[in-house]
Amino acid sequence: MFNKRLTVSALTLTTLLMGSITQIQAASDDTVTVYSSRKEHLIQPLFEKFTEDTGIEVNYLTGKGGDLIERLKLEGENTPADIFMTVDAGDLWYAGTQDIFQSVVTDTIQSNIPMHLRDPEGLWTGLSVRARTIVYSTDRVDPSELSTYSDLATEKWAGKLCLRTSKKIYTKSLVASIIHNQGQDKATEVVRGWVENLAAVPNAKDSHIMDAIIAGQCDVGLVNTYYFGRLIEETPDAALKLFWANQDTTGVHVNVSGAGVTKHASNAAGATKLLEWLSSAKAQAIYGSLNKEYPANQNISSDEIVSAWGSFKQDKMNLAIAGKLQADAVKLMQRLDYK
Amino acid sequence: MQQVFIKSNIWVGTLAFIVALPILVVGSAWLIPASELWSHFAQTLLPDLITSTLILLAGVAIGVGILGTVLAYLVVMVEFPGRRWLEWALFLPFAMPAYVMAFVYLGVFDYSGYVQVWLREFVGLPGFDIRAGHWAIILTFVLVFYPYVYMMARASFRRQKIQMIEAGKMLGANPLRVFWRISVPLARPAVAAGVLVTLMETLADFGVVSLFNYSTFTTAIYSAWGDFRSIEVAAQLASFLVLVAFFLIYFERKARGKAKYYSTDVSHIRPYQARGLIGWLIFFFVFSVFMLAFAMPFLQIVAWSIDVINKEWSSKYLNFIISTGILTLSAAILTVFIATILALPSQSKNNSKSLQILIRLSTLGYALPGSVMAVGLLYTVQSISQVSIYFGGSSINHFFFGSVALLLFAYVSRFMAIAFNSASASSEQIKPVYEQSAKLLGASRLRLIWQIYLPMMNPGILAGGLLVAVDVMKELPATYLLRPFGWDTLAIRVYELSAEGLFERAAVPALMMVVFGTLLMLIFNKLDRSQL
Repeated sequence: MFNKRLTVSALTLTTLLMGSITQIQAASDDTVTVYSSRKEHLIQPLFEKFTEDTGIEVNYLTGKGGDLIERLKLEGENTPADIFMTVDAGDLWYAGTQDIFQSVVTDTIQSNIPMHLRDPEGLWTGLSVRARTIVYSTDRVDPSELSTYSDLATEKWAGKLCLRTSKKIYTKSLVASIIHNQGQDKATEVVRGWVENLAAVPNAKDSHIMDAIIAGQCDVGLVNTYYFGRLIEETPDAALKLFWANQDTTGVHVNVSGAGVTKHASNAAGATKLLEWLSSAKAQAIYGSLNKEYPANQNISSDEIVSAWGSFKQDKMNLAIAGKLQADAVKLMQRLDYK
Repeated sequence: MQQVFIKSNIWVGTLAFIVALPILVVGSAWLIPASELWSHFAQTLLPDLITSTLILLAGVAIGVGILGTVLAYLVVMVEFPGRRWLEWALFLPFAMPAYVMAFVYLGVFDYSGYVQVWLREFVGLPGFDIRAGHWAIILTFVLVFYPYVYMMARASFRRQKIQMIEAGKMLGANPLRVFWRISVPLARPAVAAGVLVTLMETLADFGVVSLFNYSTFTTAIYSAWGDFRSIEVAAQLASFLVLVAFFLIYFERKARGKAKYYSTDVSHIRPYQARGLIGWLIFFFVFSVFMLAFAMPFLQIVAWSIDVINKEWSSKYLNFIISTGILTLSAAILTVFIATILALPSQSKNNSKSLQILIRLSTLGYALPGSVMAVGLLYTVQSISQVSIYFGGSSINHFFFGSVALLLFAYVSRFMAIAFNSASASSEQIKPVYEQSAKLLGASRLRLIWQIYLPMMNPGILAGGLLVAVDVMKELPATYLLRPFGWDTLAIRVYELSAEGLFERAAVPALMMVVFGTLLMLIFNKLDRSQL
């Protein structure tokens, strides 16, 4: 009995020691440290290639965008992070306003990434383009019935629409773009129509929306195209298709995933190198094949599955605007009980 | 002697204060004036989500209360076919993270799940959205959380004096009447304690409610922070949860009254034998609960895992398993160690009202969503840094952020309630006479603790340790925010994959968690048996 309790006490002490020891693993000079809200399985293969090419190691920590921004702010000049990487223009814009980025403008990045996908002051750079558009059932919908995001708010889609939750950042950015393009009043009308047309409680995931359309719960929905790409890769004969929204008007709403060098980066040179490498044709091709996203570098073609969907007109609204209008978009959706 | 005992109060008080620090920091958000966001929430989210939170809490409380009590009563008091293994198997849902259960249920039972597809095609029933309304999410929570009530009620039924039940039988009361008039009233404190833990878990949950897209109080907390980037309002909202938990505990204590059962003798005789049809009916009922709450979701994640195991498995998983193991075990040991100190019986502690309130406060972290707790901790460190800078020192943020120490701190603060409730449940059964005898005989307090209290509290300490370990293994938001580089856990892997809609691949780490949790439970079961 006595020994047992002694063992437990000893274990406890070991635990506490361990906690203080693991702290001591400071980053060396030829390591770039990344905070990323892009998920581990999507960035790790890229970083591996980068290390192979340059010999620079990449140390990374994933987390939610907002959490990581908060952590960067609190860590201030002592932050271990050299790069902050995230998956939404709103987060990038907000991070820009919180003074955690430094401006990085290099010829390589400027020639690789088009202007509307970069911060005007060079605080961040878009690295992949995510298009959010209409997906429809090929069994029950004739594509000639489809046209714009706002059209999904009209009566003909009553009880036939599936949408993702308003809590998701992609929904927020889309509604922000509608506010920017069509004004607050029109946006209110559109969101109200959407909510009235819903066939089900807004879904937590884009993949659930496509499942629901296949099962017949609804006929149309809005998704990021790479979710569709993954589904088609698994089940090529699914009765689903993409439709490019707003082609006669403002174009398909696009968002970016991107990154910037932190203000207090201890290895700003290495970080810049990583950023440039990520914008290169080689890395951009990996973006496409890993996750079926569109490359931000316009000099290379998309993944095979992705290019089969054809080209489309993009909404060229500068993405910083989507960031600025996000709070308005959320308020609007919460007022109209879009859950 | 007296002096020594008061000194122990100061130590215990300091410890409780440290554990309560992140909760106090969250509460201190009220020092910042309320923002205009409040009026927006008051007009939009709040009315709706207060109603739906209350409906959810009421439904879950009634559900787990009834299910947990009935199951515990059946396995303790009635002999029926399969009782032996079911008694243990009913604990297994503990090993299943609530968010995993939620995505399995949605995958199986929602409109596009195969149950509904089958019902539409072969029975001709119309499809329906199980996320609409309240019943599906209530049922999910009930099936995930009933083991808390089951565990506590079972322990209580086992301690009930067989004589009382025999007396009831001799007076001609039928089994139902004995159950209702004798067993349930005696077990009420235990059931209430189980329901309380469940309600705090439900209040703090984010994973299940977001998959169901159901609005609870956490919806507003996450909206304040995620949508409007206002940490102050998020903390102000979260402090309401702490307040609610405080009152729940208060009422639970009050309802329990002064009743204390100083009984530790356990009998193994079952008063009722259910044979024939009734026995099988009972078996069928208990077995269905086990099927729904564990076997079915377990088989589903096994099936998904098999499909993708080649794609998903890599040597990285060794890392995930090791980090999960180290964090789980060290957090459990540390939490239980502190909880035991806080729960040790002491006359001088009982005499100090303020100390008791402080200890209670240190257990309220359980009602806080993990990420709020984590940010509370970051700000705790930040405040210390500011003081240090003020006095000419430097910031300590970078030293603590992303350290295992801070993460363990978060676990201790978050899960103190479980370890403490469990330890104090057994310490409350220790008669004050020991302390008096020790004083008379001149034995030191340390000797009293080491030789008398600890052995007597052992069952409670062990049970608390197990529950904390399982909870830490499943914990996501605080781990996600605070972990050091390279310390990804299985829970994080499940989250990162399921957040991208890759539920089949997420089943692989989920399966490992369930296996790991089951192992923990096996160890506990062995220790639990050797106690009796």
